[in-house]
Amino acid sequence: MSGDVLQGFMQAIQPSSLLATALGSILGITVGMIPGMTISTGIILVLPLTFVLDPGMSIALLLGLYVGGMMGGSFSAILLGIPGTPSAAATALDGHPLVARGEAGRALGIAIIASFIGGLFSFFCLFFIAPNLADLALGFRAPDLFSLVFLGLTIICSFASKSLIKGLLSAVIGLAIVSIGQDPVMGTARFTFGDANLLSGIHFLSALIGLFAIPQLIENLVVNDSGKVPTTLGVRVAGILPKLSDIRRIRIPIGIGSVIGTFLGILPGAGGPIAAFISYDYAQKASRKPEEFGKGAVEGIAAPEAANNAVTGGALVPMMTLGIPGDPVTAILIGALLVHGLAPGPLLFIERADFAYGIIFSFFFANICNIVIAFAGLRILVKLISMPRAILMPTIAVLCVVGSYALRNSLFDVYVMLSFGVLGLGMKWLDMPVVPLLLALVLGRQLEEHLRIALTASQGDVSVFFTSPFSALFLGLAAISIVWSIVNARRSRSAGTLNSKFSE
Amino acid sequence: LIAFLARRDAVVGAVLLAIGIVYGFLTASLPNRSLPNTPGPAFFPWLITGVLIVLSAVLLIRALLDADHAPRQLVVDSDSRLRAFRLGWIVVYLAALPFVGFLGASVPFFAGMMLFCGERNRTVILFTSAVIPGSLFYVFRYGFQILLPSGVW
Repeated sequence: MSGDVLQGFMQAIQPSSLLATALGSILGITVGMIPGMTISTGIILVLPLTFVLDPGMSIALLLGLYVGGMMGGSFSAILLGIPGTPSAAATALDGHPLVARGEAGRALGIAIIASFIGGLFSFFCLFFIAPNLADLALGFRAPDLFSLVFLGLTIICSFASKSLIKGLLSAVIGLAIVSIGQDPVMGTARFTFGDANLLSGIHFLSALIGLFAIPQLIENLVVNDSGKVPTTLGVRVAGILPKLSDIRRIRIPIGIGSVIGTFLGILPGAGGPIAAFISYDYAQKASRKPEEFGKGAVEGIAAPEAANNAVTGGALVPMMTLGIPGDPVTAILIGALLVHGLAPGPLLFIERADFAYGIIFSFFFANICNIVIAFAGLRILVKLISMPRAILMPTIAVLCVVGSYALRNSLFDVYVMLSFGVLGLGMKWLDMPVVPLLLALVLGRQLEEHLRIALTASQGDVSVFFTSPFSALFLGLAAISIVWSIVNARRSRSAGTLNSKFSE
Repeated sequence: LIAFLARRDAVVGAVLLAIGIVYGFLTASLPNRSLPNTPGPAFFPWLITGVLIVLSAVLLIRALLDADHAPRQLVVDSDSRLRAFRLGWIVVYLAALPFVGFLGASVPFFAGMMLFCGERNRTVILFTSAVIPGSLFYVFRYGFQILLPSGVW
């Protein structure tokens, strides 16, 4: 094992990997900073590049972008009061008031430090938890794996949607799309209508590019027309390095954010925004001066920033050990690995343990690159917030085409991308969440494969899912997650009714 | 009909119910190649059909019975028209790709998108819309050995 750890470290520390990490970090901070752009869009931009790079460099680039994007989101939240990413929304509450007081540098410095420590904490958790969880997962049989994937889907649906039914329906549409092509057990062609392109199914990455990039592109063009182009002109960024007194104040909030962020990151679907707001709330409760929160308290920046960066390492745990993505970004990471013939899951730690540790160490270096780049280039980076959209938006559109075409050198994938773009726009208009669909696209084949293998082995006896302890546990948790989201939906509905009555 | 369409949940429910029924018909025509007591290729699609029909029916019925929520207005504002127009521009671009190739389609598409984004400087539009797609084309062709569509000529 120690040999694999060393090889993984050597892979991550190679100059080419470090260069890719640094490039990813710069791109991530830039993309994260620009309101309206998400980390997913940033990853889609570099996706064509990852097809031609070696797997180590590809994953280093993507991880740099992931970690950098989380930090970049806080820059615009602090400077403009507009979160660059949803995860940075809580940071704006106290970050922007500090800018209004002329302390932009102080706010940014605290955000950078907190993000770094949060990321570092989650790295250590990833390093120690992932191999052990992978060991445990190796003992899973088909019924356990089916129940685990099912649990992942239900947790994600319940977190990702205002309406549980719509979340589940979105996931079911994804499963129906996955059923196109050869079935995973017998290879029978299904729903192909005689088209050879459909035999290998819908490529997950072209679907993902369409679902995320096209609606965002259309929305950004509309927003741009309304003249809502942000600017940082007039904000002076000085005194970035935090003072010792500030460091003392943010110790506990950073600890709170790091623990909550890592834990919630491990849970599929919880994600950065929830972790950031819960950490903000706990930091306020733990503070001696809770009344300062919302008016520029440094603790109010540190806790959510540590949390949203800790989520990144946490989300890599289920992705690497179980092959279950925690959010859209880790879903894209799975897609990028699959393109290189590497399937995330417990076997990754057996068959390619060196590569698995390479990913973990690349995540570590992504955090290091992030803090160095953020402190060294902050003054230049903040100017990128007002990057001309007239160049950015068409470039994204063209790269979407290049990215989907380069998957299999086929225009078919480009049209699949467009179809999913239209589907994404339609779902947005109909208030349907897109994330459950995306995750069903990633997990659907595994779900069917494990279900059918389990039923074949048991001669059609469904009790096999309840007699295996792990399977029963996962199904129990899935039931709890569904009941929990029904109760939550009812609570928020009655609260909404009460609110509307009061407002009348 | 307009009042029905204004209830978005009812629209989702009705559309998905119809999709579920069509999907069920298609599933019924799948070949049955399974061994006794084992699930065949149609097993999973049948599960999907069942869940899709049940969930969409629940959504439809709930939306129709929900008296508390008045149907929302279907608003076709200027933003909606802009969205439709820009999506149309992307569709035209992708339709032109196989005939005029990546460069032939991307340069005018890029210029149009820049105009949509509010850029009015002709020199900037001409220069950028030629340089960025051109660079991508050559970087992918000669750097990464990926041949982007070159059109019918």
